[in-house]
Amino acid sequence: MDLLTVSVTARESAGEAYTLVEIVGEADVTNTDDLRHLLEEEVSQQPRTLIIDLSGLRFMDSSALHALLRVNRSMDRQGGVLALVSPQPAVAKILRLTTADRLIPVFDSVAEAASG
Amino acid sequence: MPRIRSFVTQAPSRPIVFLPGVSCLLMARDAETARRKTAAAAPARPPVPQAAGDGSAYPTPASAHDPMSYTYTTDLAAIRAVVHRYAIKAGLSEARAIDLVLAVSEVAANTVRHAKSPGSLQIWYDTKEIVCQIQDEGTITDPLAGRRRPSLEARGGHGLWIVNEVCDQVEMASDQTGTTIRLHMDLPLSSHR
Repeated sequence: MDLLTVSVTARESAGEAYTLVEIVGEADVTNTDDLRHLLEEEVSQQPRTLIIDLSGLRFMDSSALHALLRVNRSMDRQGGVLALVSPQPAVAKILRLTTADRLIPVFDSVAEAASG
Repeated sequence: MPRIRSFVTQAPSRPIVFLPGVSCLLMARDAETARRKTAAAAPARPPVPQAAGDGSAYPTPASAHDPMSYTYTTDLAAIRAVVHRYAIKAGLSEARAIDLVLAVSEVAANTVRHAKSPGSLQIWYDTKEIVCQIQDEGTITDPLAGRRRPSLEARGGHGLWIVNEVCDQVEMASDQTGTTIRLHMDLPLSSHR
């Protein structure tokens, strides 16, 4: 089993298109480059809203956090919004500790993020 | 090259110990609230160990229960699983086990980033705490590494800062031969034997 699997789907909520990225597994320094490239590819499609579902992510280290912060800056620059959904306790901890959760909005569900 | 020599033997009072020529102070941390303690409580100084990369300079204390030893290269998920299992078995709460796993993973990630050879992890616990000791052949030249909070705009540098935030105590020794980092987590009183 791969340490990290990422799936991307284009969705719509109340007529608004958004990109949903689901990250499942464990994200650390050994797979950050892959994660970053994949997320950058999605950002380059210029979605208005990019939602990352973290409910299947058991662990995230600081290098993966940096990848998310980079995506957030890029989305900001191009006038889009990044939202995170349902971080598990270990992931919520690093988001809270670094105050990244004050910079990037975190929602309890994809539906909430898509309408928020 | 700056040398960091800040290893101390375990003392119950967790004092800050100033060693000659050391520009780095140890800070006792209680959960997420840092509390400075006075240097007046410092015990007699232990000998300054030689060669931070040499495990023999930092023996496991005789009081250690169930010491375990692992070598890792890039298999950080396996190391995280081992630390989580061990921490729960030793009596750490789930939330604190998550903290320790994060800290160990961040230190081991530095091995993956900077060291050209495998790292080693030793874990043990006693009546008061669980300790993870990580050694590799990388060198940390900044004596204040992990002591300053990096900006979220920074390109890196969160790793060791996180380690210092989540652990009750962090000891670090680094020189040209390598780096040894000891992470201490207090066990809850109920698990004291």
